[in-house]
Amino acid sequence: MRLFRGLGFDRLSGLYLWAALIAVFSVWQTQFRTLSTAHTIAGERSISAILGLAIIIPLACGAFDLSVGAIANFATINAVLLINNGHSWPVAALVAVLVSLGIGLVNGFFVVRLHVSSFITTLGIGSVITALQVIVTHNLQPVQPNNASWADFTNHTVFGFQIVFVYMLIVAVILWWVLQHTPVGRYLYAIGSSPDAARLSGVAVGRYTWLSLAASGTIAGIGGVMFGSLTGPSLTYGAGLLLPAFAAAFLGSTQIVPGRFNVWGTVMSIFVLATGVAGLQLAYPQAQWLDPMFSGSALVLAVAIAVGRQRAGEERARKRLVRKESVSGASVSHPAAPGDHERSAGAIAQPAQHSHIDDGTGVSL
Amino acid sequence: MSTGSHGSSSAPPALAIEGLTKTFVANRALDGVDLQILPGEVHALLGENGSGKSTLIKVLSGYHRPDPGGVVQIGGSDLDYGTPHASYLLGARFVHQDLGLVEDSSIADNLSFGPGFPTRFGTVNDRQARRRARTALDAMGLDLDPVLKVSKLSPAQKTGVAVARALLPDEAHPAKLLVLDEPTARLPDEEVEQLLGVVRTVSAAGIGILYVTHRLDEVFDIAELATVLRDGTRVVTAPIKGLTRQALLEHLFGDKVARAQRETETADTRVAPVLRLTDVSSEALRGLSLEVRPGEVVGVAGVTGSGREAVCATIFGARTRDGGTVELLGELVAGNRPDVSIARGVAYIPAERKLTGCFLDLPARENVSLTSMKDIWTFPFLRKRVEATMVRGWFERLDVRPVKSVDAPMAAFSGGNQQKIIYGKWFQREPVLFLLDEPTQGVDVGAKAELHSALFKAAEGGAAVLVSSTDVDELATISDRVIVLAGGRVVTTLVGADIDVHTITRAALGIDAHEGVS
Repeated sequence: MRLFRGLGFDRLSGLYLWAALIAVFSVWQTQFRTLSTAHTIAGERSISAILGLAIIIPLACGAFDLSVGAIANFATINAVLLINNGHSWPVAALVAVLVSLGIGLVNGFFVVRLHVSSFITTLGIGSVITALQVIVTHNLQPVQPNNASWADFTNHTVFGFQIVFVYMLIVAVILWWVLQHTPVGRYLYAIGSSPDAARLSGVAVGRYTWLSLAASGTIAGIGGVMFGSLTGPSLTYGAGLLLPAFAAAFLGSTQIVPGRFNVWGTVMSIFVLATGVAGLQLAYPQAQWLDPMFSGSALVLAVAIAVGRQRAGEERARKRLVRKESVSGASVSHPAAPGDHERSAGAIAQPAQHSHIDDGTGVSL
Repeated sequence: MSTGSHGSSSAPPALAIEGLTKTFVANRALDGVDLQILPGEVHALLGENGSGKSTLIKVLSGYHRPDPGGVVQIGGSDLDYGTPHASYLLGARFVHQDLGLVEDSSIADNLSFGPGFPTRFGTVNDRQARRRARTALDAMGLDLDPVLKVSKLSPAQKTGVAVARALLPDEAHPAKLLVLDEPTARLPDEEVEQLLGVVRTVSAAGIGILYVTHRLDEVFDIAELATVLRDGTRVVTAPIKGLTRQALLEHLFGDKVARAQRETETADTRVAPVLRLTDVSSEALRGLSLEVRPGEVVGVAGVTGSGREAVCATIFGARTRDGGTVELLGELVAGNRPDVSIARGVAYIPAERKLTGCFLDLPARENVSLTSMKDIWTFPFLRKRVEATMVRGWFERLDVRPVKSVDAPMAAFSGGNQQKIIYGKWFQREPVLFLLDEPTQGVDVGAKAELHSALFKAAEGGAAVLVSSTDVDELATISDRVIVLAGGRVVTTLVGADIDVHTITRAALGIDAHEGVS
C-alpha cells in the first residue's frame, strides 16, 4: 500500500498510463516508434491543450465555459479575414483576441450581474457566436492568407517541434503560476469550494468569477488565432475541440493535485488521450470515430473517478487523522473518537453513510 | 416528570448492552460499557465529544461491529451484524442531529419518502398520504397540517416530524427503542419544551428512549436515568432524581471542570467605542442602537425571531442593511460589504459552520490563510513555508489536534477542531471587532473553554467582541454586558451581577424580572 502510494499511482496514474500506451503502440505499430509521432501529436494537440487550460480557470471557481470552442473558432475566422483585408497579422491577431476578451466579458456580465448560470449563459452565447460567424463569413470558408510570417508564427520548428507547442507551454506556466502561486488562485478555488463562505471571507466573488470568464475567453481566442496560423480557417473545428478540452480538464483534476482542476494534470491528460488516439489511428486508419469515442468516454470516466476518489479520500483523511490523534492521545483531553463526527443528512434509521461533502465540490458535472 | 410505569418485569428491555467494547486501530472507543433501557424509559446518555457516544450509536445502528464478547440486545433479541437493517428489524429507530428532512417538500411527502407513497394505478394518492401523515403526527402530539412545507416549520417542529418519520408504524417490526442524537442541539431554549413534549408522548407509548445530549438542563426535565461516558467507559448510571448538576459535571469531566471565567468589568464609558450602531434597521432589526467598547464582551440574547440571529450578520454586511449607520472606530462602514468590513478589521464567524463558515474540501492551511494573503504573498510567489508555519502556530495555540495535519481537508476535522481553525483564521488578522454567531456550537465543553479564553485574550488586547448565541449559559459565562432583543430592538441591558441564565431567559421571553420563576 505504501509502495503503491510512494510510486504516486494515486496522483500520477496518467503518467503510467501514458508510458504503457507508448510501450504498447511502439511494439504493435513500428511507425509509431518515431520521434516524428511525438512532434505531430505535440503540434496538433497544442490548441486542444490551450482550450483545456482556458476552461480550468472558470472551473476552478465553479463556473463552466462552454463557449470556448465557438470563441476560438470565431477568433480564427476574424484573424484570417482581417489579414485578407490587408491588415498585418499581428494586428489581426490582436483584434481577434480582443474580440474574444469582449465575449468573455459578456459571459461574465450575464453570469455575475444577471445571475444566469454559467452553464446556460455560455451555452447560449456559444450559439450566438456561431451565428455571428455565419453572418461574418456568409458561410464561405475564407482562404488561408498567403503570408509566410503568418504561417511561421506557429509552424516554426524548434528541436523538431512546432513552436505552437512552446506557446502552449508558456500559457500553461503562466496559468500554473496564477492558480498555484498567487492569491488570485486561492480566491478562485475558495469560490469554487463555497461561494458563500468566500464572500464572508472578503473574497470579491462576482469580480473573480467575471475575471475567470474573461480569462477563459481571452485564452480561447489566443488558441483560435494560433489554430488559424497552424491549420487554416476552418468554419467548424471549434465545436469539436470543446469536449476534448473538458475531458482533459476533468481527467486532469484526478491527477497531480487530485480533487482540483490543475494545469499540469490538464496538459498531461490532453497528451495521454492524444497518444491513445494516435496509436489506434495507425492501427485502424479508417476509424474516424476514435477521437470522439476516446474523449467522450474519458470525460465520463474521469468524473466518475474524481467523485469516487473524493469520497474515498475524505474518509481516508478522516481515519488517518483519527489514528494520529489516538496515537498522540495519551495527553489529549478529549480525543475525537473514531466515528465521532457529524452525521450526513438523510441517515435516519439507516447505518450512517460517510459522505461529508455531497459532490458538487467542483469535480462533478 | 416520571413516566416509567411501563417497565413491567415480563417485557424484555428495549435495549440491553453488556460488556460492549469497540476498538479502532489503536484506540479503544468503547470499553466494557453496560446499558439497559426498559420500555417507556427515557435514558439520558451524556459525554464530551470523543467520549464514545457516537460510536455507541453507530454500534446500535449496526454500522460498527463491536469487538467479540459483548452483548447488544434490542427488544430482547441479539443484534445480528451480518444482516443489513438488522437494527431496524429489531425495532431500533434513530433520529440524528441532521434531521435529513427535505425542506422543500411537504410534511406528508417527507413521511412518504421512506415507506413509499400510497398509490392507485401507479398515481400517488395524495389524500391517503395526507391522512397517513396526519395519523403519524397525531401520534406525536403534533398539531400540524401535513401539506405544510418542512421549511415553514420551527426547528422543534422539524425535529418532531423527524421523530414521527422514524416511528412510522411498521406492523411487522414494531419500534421498541428510539435513539435521539442531540435533538436539542440546534433548538433555541424556548422550543426545547415543545420537543420534550414529543419525547414524553413517545415514552408513554412504551418505547424506550436513548436521549443523547450535550445540554444538562433538559436532562433533569425529561430523563429518568442518566448514564455518563468518559473516554469510552461508563462512569456512572444513576437515577436522575439523585443527581445534581454539579455532580453530573464532575462525572462528565472528572476533575477538569475548570471553566473559562473572567472578572466582568464595566467598560470605561470615556473610551471611544469600537463599534457604534445607530438606528440600524433591516428585515429582522427595527432601529437597533448599540455601542461596544474596546475590551468589552457584549452578549446578544433573544428568542428566535427577535433579531438576535441577524445582528452580527447585518453589522458585518453578510445580510442586507436597510437603514441606520454602523461606525467602526468612529468611521462609517458601508453595508453589505463583507470585504470592506474585513479590511477595516472586523472578524465574523457565522452560525452555519459547514455552509458558510469554512471550506470543507480545502486544506485547513488554505482555510486559515485565505483572509491573510498579504502575510504570505511576496511577489512572485505565495510563501508556502511561511504559511505552514503560521497555520501550525495557530494549531498549537488553539490546541487543534493533530498539530501536523495542517494539510488535511477541513472536513476531516471534528466540529470542535473546525471551529478552532476558523478562530485561528480570524485571530491571524488581529481584528478590532469580533462578531460571533453561535461561537461554540457543536463544540464540547473543554474546547469551549479554550475558545473562550482565546477570545478573552483578544479582548484584553483591546478588541471588542459581540457574541450572539442561543446558549444562554454561554452568554452568562463570558459577557460583560448582555443585551436582550425582542422585535428587532434592545429591550433590556444587563450588567454585572444581573447577568445570569434565569434573568437573561426571562428577559428574552418578556417576563418581568420581579415575577416569580415560572
